[in-house]
Amino acid sequence: MTDLGYVALVLGLVLSLYGVLASILGARRNLPELVASGRNAVYVVGGLVLLATLLLWHALLTDQFQLEYVATHTERSLPTFFKISALWGGQAGSLLFWTLVLAGYAVAATWFFRSQQPSFKPYVNATLLLTIAFFLAVVLFAANPFARLWRDAAGEVVTAVFRPAGTVPLIPADGQGLNPQLQNYWMVFHPVALYLGFVGLTVPFAFAVAALVTGQLGNTWIKLIRKWTLVPWLFLSLGILLGSQWAYIELGWGGYWAWDAVENASLIPWLPATAFIHSIVIQEKRGMLKVWNVVLIWLAWELTLFGTFLTRSGVVQSVHAFALSPVGPMFFAFIAITMLGFLALLIWRLPLLRSENQLDAVLSRETTFLTQNVIFLLIAFATLVGTLFAPLSELLLGDKIVVSAPYFQRVNGPIFLALLVLMGIAPLLAWRRSAPETLLRNFGLPLAAGVLSVPLTWLLGNRNAAGFVGFAALAFVLAGVVQEYGRGVRTRRHATGEGWGVALVNLVRRNGRRYGGYIVHIGMLLIALGIIGNEFYQSEGQANLRRGESITVANYTLTYRDLAASRGPNYDEYSARLELSRAGRPAGELLAKKVLYDKNPDQPMTEVGLRPGPVEDVYVVLAGFEGSGETASFKVYVNPLMSWMWVGGLVMILGVLVAAWPRGTGAAAEARGRSARY
Amino acid sequence: MPKRMALLLAIIILASILVAPALAQTPTPNEVNAIAKELWCPLCNGVRLDNCELQACIQMREVIAQKLAAGESKEQIKAYFVQQYGDVVLGMPTGQGFNLVAWGLPALVGVAALGLLAYVVRLWVRRRPAAGQIATPGARPVSTSAEEYLKRVDEELKNDQ
Amino acid sequence: MINEPIRNPAARDASSPKSAIPNRLPGWAIVLGIGVLFITALMGLLLLKPPQKSLCDEPAPDWSLTLFDDYRGGWPGDTINLTDLRGKGVVLNFWASWCKPCEEEAAALEAAWRQYRDQGIVFVGVDYLDQEPAAKRYLARFDITYPNGPDLAGRISKRYAIRGVPETFFINPEGKLVGCRKIGPLSEEELRQRIAEIVPK
Repeated sequence: MTDLGYVALVLGLVLSLYGVLASILGARRNLPELVASGRNAVYVVGGLVLLATLLLWHALLTDQFQLEYVATHTERSLPTFFKISALWGGQAGSLLFWTLVLAGYAVAATWFFRSQQPSFKPYVNATLLLTIAFFLAVVLFAANPFARLWRDAAGEVVTAVFRPAGTVPLIPADGQGLNPQLQNYWMVFHPVALYLGFVGLTVPFAFAVAALVTGQLGNTWIKLIRKWTLVPWLFLSLGILLGSQWAYIELGWGGYWAWDAVENASLIPWLPATAFIHSIVIQEKRGMLKVWNVVLIWLAWELTLFGTFLTRSGVVQSVHAFALSPVGPMFFAFIAITMLGFLALLIWRLPLLRSENQLDAVLSRETTFLTQNVIFLLIAFATLVGTLFAPLSELLLGDKIVVSAPYFQRVNGPIFLALLVLMGIAPLLAWRRSAPETLLRNFGLPLAAGVLSVPLTWLLGNRNAAGFVGFAALAFVLAGVVQEYGRGVRTRRHATGEGWGVALVNLVRRNGRRYGGYIVHIGMLLIALGIIGNEFYQSEGQANLRRGESITVANYTLTYRDLAASRGPNYDEYSARLELSRAGRPAGELLAKKVLYDKNPDQPMTEVGLRPGPVEDVYVVLAGFEGSGETASFKVYVNPLMSWMWVGGLVMILGVLVAAWPRGTGAAAEARGRSARY
Repeated sequence: MPKRMALLLAIIILASILVAPALAQTPTPNEVNAIAKELWCPLCNGVRLDNCELQACIQMREVIAQKLAAGESKEQIKAYFVQQYGDVVLGMPTGQGFNLVAWGLPALVGVAALGLLAYVVRLWVRRRPAAGQIATPGARPVSTSAEEYLKRVDEELKNDQ
Repeated sequence: MINEPIRNPAARDASSPKSAIPNRLPGWAIVLGIGVLFITALMGLLLLKPPQKSLCDEPAPDWSLTLFDDYRGGWPGDTINLTDLRGKGVVLNFWASWCKPCEEEAAALEAAWRQYRDQGIVFVGVDYLDQEPAAKRYLARFDITYPNGPDLAGRISKRYAIRGVPETFFINPEGKLVGCRKIGPLSEEELRQRIAEIVPK
């Protein structure tokens, strides 16, 4: 059965390469049958990759331990849920999963655009199929999930797809189990969301390539890919948030982001992708930045590849990087070739890219968008420098200089603050030109809000200087958004006489991009709120407690009651029960756990006892215990405003839904789109 | 005699106030963590010292406890660890030689990028065919915001038809 | 001015008669090109990074070790340099008090020191990423009497590209490493064999 999976992948590789050639040749020589054949190749390859993935899933679910991947990532007593998620638990499986998502996007894009843009499609298909071909090649030649285990004459274990001479099949009785860090629900959704994000950026990139090749660099390709960029962007953002949530709840150090190499690898592509979402608005409205936009999406796409190259090649060490493998050189080759290829494409198309960019005034929304773009790229650059500093210094000096969170906080912190303020300024400036007399009208309320936040937060107990700045920035941006909504609703009511509620709904419906975008900004504000709370206002305490003793942090008191041991399907669990009280009043119970997995007894996992709340989270970690719990060591954190980060994620989903909701097709929608203000 | 008694009492009280801190009490885990929070495990990758469960880290925290009991300040303790383990324990490179690249490079690129941006924006503004200069306030008779309002109203009304 | 013939772009782009490379490449294209080449070179370098310095059969990197009080092993000063030990065979052992496998070889090392010190062999212990109180407890526990000192800021460890502890190096009287580093605890047998290779004639 699993040989069938291998065959499907080989066939998929051959057909995708065929599809690339057919699409390009068909387009150049004007042979529609060939182009159609290339398009069909997308569907067939999609089906083959799906087949292979289903077969691997089947092997995981039925404990086919003769497959090396199954043996090293599952065990008999692993819950079914995690046997499914084991697909992306390791190098080979996750690469196949990447290919599946990519094939899925390719099929979806091909089908969605089946009756549009005949000139673009061959090149879109070719780009998508070329990327699929690369990943299939990596899966087949560098990290094959269908490789089996064999034992040779000397008793050594060998891994290969087909039986090497002189070996016999080796079927272990049980697998080695899944990494304990992956045995929780976040690790099911976080990689899926991330991949839907990373991989999804290939579609707008493919359109950029098509636009360059066909010379149609106007707004056509921009309009086509808007939703196909927003959706992956949303998934990427959610993926990053889910990863932070996992770190918060599972790693038990009271924080959510450690500026670890793998975390950075997911953040770095997000930055140009966010810049791109904004700069295409400028192209749509003003016809500017054609070159910039294709370069930006290309950068975002290459960085997704580069990020995964970093984590899979062993170049950087990280708490959760994949093991060393031959995958690195293959990614290197692909990234290098695509970079050089795209550059050549740009230079070939140079005459068409000569847009006479102009601005009406320095003080305009365009300028803020441009500044924002530059800042996003600067953050990406700084993060890249920090992430690569260790391997680079080792390379150049022989001495590895490690860079951890303090560096990133000092460098990126202020830049993010600037970005936040810019996010607040942009809606207050008009397109083209903002006359100075309107500045006061527009900036008045937000500035007032920012200034007023200082005494307000002081009254609420804030004494932290950085906190004042942060809250002021948040107030400034929020006031700007509210002002925009208010003015929009007022204008509508003035024109149509609708009630407030109806006017609001219709306003958002007609200008979904703009007002949905503002909702996403609010989501960002909430995330920033959580960040500010955790960075500047966290309280912590640690104590060794005997039964009945308490620890007090902020105005919460936790009393240790008892320790219970229990047994799960593949682990032992030790659960400490603590009573929580706040300023003397009882506030429930918390369970802080330590989990020891059978297959990984040296790697105890923490289950945080968490009581989230709108004002603050109470967060307890069982650090250790003696005997059967006569004494236990606890770390307690009180994290203000932390829960708002997760709420921010939900708000972002709402915002993207509003911005990307289809508003019908045809002339009416076209007219609406043209006149829409954003 | 009351005066001498009072003086003796004052001396005793003063002495106990001065001596009490020297009766080194074992620092609480919180006090140790306050310092360990600002240090990083030299053996791991990006694990803070107060979260690290390695034997080496446990020993490092014990040393922090001892030094606190001996009355050393946070700066002294951190400096000691830097001397023992190097900059890795601070989690960021201190500015010497190649380390400056870590800080300097983003700063340099940032300044250059923003400078380039300013130049490009100025260039694009000067390209405007109508006015060769950046728009002056008197160029438009009607305030832009009111104009925008009316424009929007028109647009909205048009869309409703 | 850059006059370039039409470059042959990547395979998928057949040349179009309508396009022509302009006489000058705009600045941004050049910058982009340089950037691309730089990134490519960077990735290549990162991947092809020189393997961990093998340090097999080559001159031993020099070092200077400040010894613990009470653990000078009879050495007159409080600092030893490798160059001071020219003419003697040196067993350089990296250890740490928090290192469990190190404990397995501690006794064998001390025994060999006592046995071979009259034959011109010096044992030097380098304490890797450790704490003085814990280190001294470890040395006392195994009754170690040969010179030991802390590797401040990990300088010596970096020079010998230590990946973990214990690791042991054998240096002959001419200052050259004989064989490769031993990773992991040494058995008495292996210790004897390797010492035999560095005993001064």
